[in-house]
Amino acid sequence: MSYLEYHAKSMPSGFRKILYLNWGLLLLLVTVACVGFLMLYSVAGGSFTPWVEPQVKRFALGLVLLFVVAMVPIWFWRNVSVLAYLGSLALLVAVELFGSVGMGAQRWIDLGFMRLQPSEVTKISLVMLLAAYYDWLPPEKTSRPLWVMLPVALILLPVALVLKQPDLGTSILLMAAGGGVMFLAGVHWAYFVAVIASGVGLVSAVFQSRGTDWQLLKDYQFRRIDTFLDPSQDPLGAGYHITQSKIALGSGGWSGRGFMQGTQSRLNFLPEKHTDFIFTTLAEEFGFIGGVTLLFIYMLIILFCIASAIATKDRFSSLVIMGIGLNFFLFFAVNMSMVMGLAPVVGVPLPMVSYGGSAMLVLLGAFGIVQSAHIHRPRHSTR
Amino acid sequence: MIRTPLRPLARILHARAVGENPDRIEQENITLRHQEMQVQARQRSEGRLLVMGALFVFAFATIGARMGITALSEPAEPVASVPGSAIAMQRADIVDRKGRLLATNFETHSLYAQPPQMVDPVGAAEKLVEIFPDLDRDELIEDFTGKRKFLWIKKKISPEQQQAVHDIGDPGLLFGPREMRLYPNGSLAAHVLGGAGFGKEGVNAAEVIGVAGVEKQFDSYLRDPANGGKPLQLSLDLTVQAAAERVLYGGMKLMNAKGATSILMDVHTGEVISVVSLPDFDPNDRPRPPTSGFDPSVSPLFNRAVQGVYELGSAFKIFTAAQAVDLGLANSETMIDASGPMRIGRFPIGEFNHKNFGELSLADVIVNSSNRGTGRLALQIGALRQQDFLRALGMFEPTPIEIAEAAGGRPLTPRKWGDLSTVTISYGHGLSASPMHLAAGYAAIANGGRYVKPTILRQDGPQEGQRVMSEEAARQSRAMLRKVVTSGTASFAEVPGYQVGGKTGTADKPKPQGGYYEDKVIATFAAMFPAHDPKYVLVVTLDEPEVIAHGKPRRTAGWTATPVAAEMIGRVAPLLGLRPQVEPIEMAGITLTSN
Repeated sequence: MSYLEYHAKSMPSGFRKILYLNWGLLLLLVTVACVGFLMLYSVAGGSFTPWVEPQVKRFALGLVLLFVVAMVPIWFWRNVSVLAYLGSLALLVAVELFGSVGMGAQRWIDLGFMRLQPSEVTKISLVMLLAAYYDWLPPEKTSRPLWVMLPVALILLPVALVLKQPDLGTSILLMAAGGGVMFLAGVHWAYFVAVIASGVGLVSAVFQSRGTDWQLLKDYQFRRIDTFLDPSQDPLGAGYHITQSKIALGSGGWSGRGFMQGTQSRLNFLPEKHTDFIFTTLAEEFGFIGGVTLLFIYMLIILFCIASAIATKDRFSSLVIMGIGLNFFLFFAVNMSMVMGLAPVVGVPLPMVSYGGSAMLVLLGAFGIVQSAHIHRPRHSTR
Repeated sequence: MIRTPLRPLARILHARAVGENPDRIEQENITLRHQEMQVQARQRSEGRLLVMGALFVFAFATIGARMGITALSEPAEPVASVPGSAIAMQRADIVDRKGRLLATNFETHSLYAQPPQMVDPVGAAEKLVEIFPDLDRDELIEDFTGKRKFLWIKKKISPEQQQAVHDIGDPGLLFGPREMRLYPNGSLAAHVLGGAGFGKEGVNAAEVIGVAGVEKQFDSYLRDPANGGKPLQLSLDLTVQAAAERVLYGGMKLMNAKGATSILMDVHTGEVISVVSLPDFDPNDRPRPPTSGFDPSVSPLFNRAVQGVYELGSAFKIFTAAQAVDLGLANSETMIDASGPMRIGRFPIGEFNHKNFGELSLADVIVNSSNRGTGRLALQIGALRQQDFLRALGMFEPTPIEIAEAAGGRPLTPRKWGDLSTVTISYGHGLSASPMHLAAGYAAIANGGRYVKPTILRQDGPQEGQRVMSEEAARQSRAMLRKVVTSGTASFAEVPGYQVGGKTGTADKPKPQGGYYEDKVIATFAAMFPAHDPKYVLVVTLDEPEVIAHGKPRRTAGWTATPVAAEMIGRVAPLLGLRPQVEPIEMAGITLTSN
């Protein structure tokens, strides 16, 4: 079913659209953001400066963005997705060029009021493009090799650019999100099995070669990988973050030390305590209960996304919603795993909670698209 | 896939018979087929969604479980504060050639304050001053009651001090673990090890970085966790080093010198077995570098062996003799004109104590240390060939030894290398080099003519150095050096049981404002032993020695540096595993008959 088959009459129009917003999802997002404000307030030692105030401002800006995006019909977003993709590629190239001119190895572009990370925008535009692609492609062609190679190339292009920045974490997330959309679009599972198997094969071949005479990496490279995978081997260097955040989690215990009572985070033991490692503050002050509650809210957001994706009947809407949901999921899953030592330390913020403009603004814009798809979905009642 | 035909013949015929439009049947079937496809696609994507959902649930469960496990675990302090385990891996140890410890790490604590957490700032400040009398009470009170949120009080404190501070009981006084470098042998080999200091500092750790010596030279190696804490093995021998330092210190005092240096080097491997520079310092408590306006070369931090460049005097003569033999210009019996007076341009070339030797054999030129004889030989060799030879011996570049300061020991060579320079350099004036340069040059003679790079790292075997002179030239040179000891200026170098060959060198010290001092010298003795098949080269240099002997003040190396070197050889040769030998009886004048 394509958009042309929709009855425009079935859509709410004008300000009535607000009534059709997915209010539950919006409420959850605001709740998570408030948790973020609370934690930033605590980390700053009970002060609105330097973090809470700009964060609130940015959140307000993001909400406005969300509403504006949500009001625009979803087919508009489908039609501009190629442009959005090309635009974000151009931004990635621009950041590369600016970096070489004089800004060092930086990943962002200064817009004056905020710093924009093109790789964040790319996460969303890539999902949009892939969703539009599978919306356009006749379903029976989905698994034909040629039509599989094309989206793979579309994913690998921005991945290569991000990898060059260099930002391994983000490029892996991009691949995961892109691959996820392809999976949801129904590409034959054999492709995924092949890719995963060859990846696993390559990694295990590298590790198998260790200690034999056809060793693929040098000894010291293996040791670096060891430290990367198991930072506890180097507690003052690479493992410092992890060790300290594990202590914070441990000292939080079941119900935490209480709001603003965390020692690990307040006494400067933790680096990046207001950005990537803010979860440790939460876990220390509100304990296991607080952490699981936040996890539960995140899970609800994902559930709302899945429900919304099922409710929309066209391919673009459901794919783009799931793609954005998948991105969101990857954000917090990777961040939490990293903080708890399940995954290596890569720079991924806790979505909507960590201090930082780019990611939050882009996420709120993306949820605007989710809302737009939700508003403009076909309704049998009005048909 | 079995397709239902869009226009089933039976139905079409039936429709025609009934009089209906058969196209409607086709459209009906097309719609049905589309619906079927849509349902399939829908089911498939919902199936995929289900798989994805299962994945999400799995991830949630994993994260939740992990959260529970970590939250319920006892908060364990980081491994880093467990003494002796992981932290020892942070910076590799340094050991001598037999694996004995020269530098290691030691756990101590730093003391810092967080005034906002303090209960009784004034009381705490007063008690702190009792524990650390060097702290200023008023300043501390000002810091503690002011706006500062954090301040360092002491970078390193002892366990007793830590306990005392702990007993104050103020929550705003905190300790941070500090790894520090420990040199268990104190000042032994101080100039080689150099020392370490703190780089970037945090509350929980401070970076230890090498500031001098091998600590600086190999800083990145020592810090690289990829080396797995494997110690850095030096070529030094701790016992030999200790003996050499003792002897040199005693010699320096006896000879009233203000500084001294000695180098003991293996002539085949280039390994430096011991290197001493006096005065020295304790790397555990490195003195501050001298402030400006003060001559850095008298600071105890100055490494005379590799940093100090001196005119090394007559010790250089053997290089001229060796080259002359190598080029075939002379052999040890060739008669050389050493008569005076001799002038190069308007500069007279004189001899020590205004002697005039007349004609001498080449061996006797060396034995008597004749400036004129050496100078005339050098004129025959010529400036260019002389430069090539000295360059091959490494005299134009800083020594390649792996001590950070060695790079600063660049030899001073004349800007214009005319006949005068050729002559003066042939006897060791006009070219300043470090004692390490001299040792490397003598090693080439001692090992049969190959240049070996001096190294401070343990080597596995001899170096295949570049050949700088023929075996024969080296052999004849060694014989001349041996004769210097048996019947020349270095007679004090005789060590019973160990045949020593060597050459003295005494050079007047240059005045900073130009010209030379009459009564200040650099006295050098460069030796090799055992002389018949040398294994080691020893260079001893004394700065401004003066000793009264036979009623006269003596400064020349034969009276000062040589006996110190002899004493040192007597002490270290047994430690090096050399057995004393009985000198072969001189055969001259005795005829063996067989009846």
